[in-house]
Amino acid sequence: MSVRLRLRRGPGLRLDLRGITPAALAGLDAAAIERLPLAQGRGVLPLAEFFDVRVNGEADSLHFEGDLSRCDRIGWQLTGGRVVVEGSAGDHAGAGMTAGELHIHGDAGLLAACEMAGGQLVVDGNVGDFAASAQPGSLDGMRGGSFIVRGNAGARFGDRMRRGTVLVFGDAGDFFASRLVAGSIALGGRAGAHVGYGMRRGSLVFARVAPSVPATFVPAISQAPVIWQLLARDLARHGGPFAELPSRRVQRYLGDLAAGGKGELILIE
Amino acid sequence: MVHNGVVIDDTFAEAFPMKATRLLITAHNMNWARHAAVSATGFATSVIACGCEAGIERELSPDETPDGRPGLSLLLFSMSGKELVKQIERRVGQCVLTCPTTAVFAGIADGEAVALGKNLRFFGDGWQTSKVIAGVRYWRVPVMDGEFVAQETTAVVKAVGGGNLLLLARDTDAALGAAEAAVAAMKRLPNVIMPFPGGVVRSGSKVGSKYAGLMASTNDAFCPGLYGLVAKSELTPEARCVLEIVIDGLTESDVAAAMRAGLDAAIESGAAAGLLRISAGNYGGKLGPYLFHLHRLMGAAPPAAQGEAV
Repeated sequence: MSVRLRLRRGPGLRLDLRGITPAALAGLDAAAIERLPLAQGRGVLPLAEFFDVRVNGEADSLHFEGDLSRCDRIGWQLTGGRVVVEGSAGDHAGAGMTAGELHIHGDAGLLAACEMAGGQLVVDGNVGDFAASAQPGSLDGMRGGSFIVRGNAGARFGDRMRRGTVLVFGDAGDFFASRLVAGSIALGGRAGAHVGYGMRRGSLVFARVAPSVPATFVPAISQAPVIWQLLARDLARHGGPFAELPSRRVQRYLGDLAAGGKGELILIE
Repeated sequence: MVHNGVVIDDTFAEAFPMKATRLLITAHNMNWARHAAVSATGFATSVIACGCEAGIERELSPDETPDGRPGLSLLLFSMSGKELVKQIERRVGQCVLTCPTTAVFAGIADGEAVALGKNLRFFGDGWQTSKVIAGVRYWRVPVMDGEFVAQETTAVVKAVGGGNLLLLARDTDAALGAAEAAVAAMKRLPNVIMPFPGGVVRSGSKVGSKYAGLMASTNDAFCPGLYGLVAKSELTPEARCVLEIVIDGLTESDVAAAMRAGLDAAIESGAAAGLLRISAGNYGGKLGPYLFHLHRLMGAAPPAAQGEAV
């Protein structure tokens, strides 16, 4: 029961796929889907210009085939259903989604999961800069849902994020969780410079490699075993570098003191 | 009906709808979890003056608790959801928040969500932080031994209060023995508490009093000291000590199961140990929607649906 859209060849200009969601396609036949308008540059073209359409019953899931790394806003403001990209996705993948599931088998571009509010976004590859962050000029980043990156993340990951749970299995770039308002981010690999720059609240878990702790964080002298067990057990479900967390002892650093200091960096001893 | 020499009266216990919640208290070790649980369920024998009826349901091993520490599950029952909310806040605030190393979690997921740590968090004076894990919000309140973690809300569900058994015995030793055996058997069941001291109450009451303004007074028909004095006594000259066990449960079938377990345990000691009769307290069957007939409980019939006699 799904709709499959196969990209024939990479578009010459970036292609905007906003509005192409399972809910929007529900009840449409192949001909109607082929006529849907897609924005490209200053023009609007029918979907059939780019995609071969195959419909198997009602659209509660939507599959994209091919290299969509020049196709932006896949799963934009997704409100339900399941979207699978059997390749890479462009920028703004899963941005503003509130429910449903978006699974990208390849990489995602810039601003993946930015202002995401609910649902689940899984990227098997890498994500570009500003993932889980805010739209340019916006004050609030990701605000709910769960976001899993099995590869590496770019710079400014989780900028201004305020709620939700994020796991990055690989490495992260500079300014990891900068200006974090709240939420939980766990990192399996190593982080770049300036982790938690200006973070107000929230928890950053470094499952394998301790980051360079900025001077604006202070070591915690008390344990927090209860909340650590609750958090570690939830993270451990995802396996990989997080599987052993509940049995590990941790050292916490509190900060950023420049922004109130109610956040914490959790380092594995 | 006679079992092992014990007469089972053809009567019924009459129970009432209540509101209930389950709380899980964990701590660094069972000792401190128990201190918090005993304190939080103290002075909670009867809604008449305690605000709620509460008790420890059972011990929880570390692999049964959300945080992997030993703990206890408590059940709290009130006549209204509003009163229950007040009791939760007071009892958790004064008895769990204060107790070293404890944390508190909701023990029921489905039901109307009411505040657990939601208001207690303000004890943190601005240093409290929240953490949403797997869709559940917890509050972290800094305290002198580290931090107090409390789930934001717990669920309130409809429940059944006031199931009971009256044990009529030859003497004090026999009545205590039968009551202790019955309470021990009931405690092995989930979803029920026996809120009175040791699970047993000696001051069974009737509705009303000769004194205006007193809603309940001593159940003179079952007082051995009034045998021969009151117009109508339920006792025979051999029954010189009567004890009652009151049961609150999350559902009608939980209360029925506990009453059956108590009946079986009391009957097992039998007439040889001095137990003469088992009866139950009711108000004529017109007040409470839940009726637990002793003879039907002794039969093999499964508990009936809510509102019907069991």
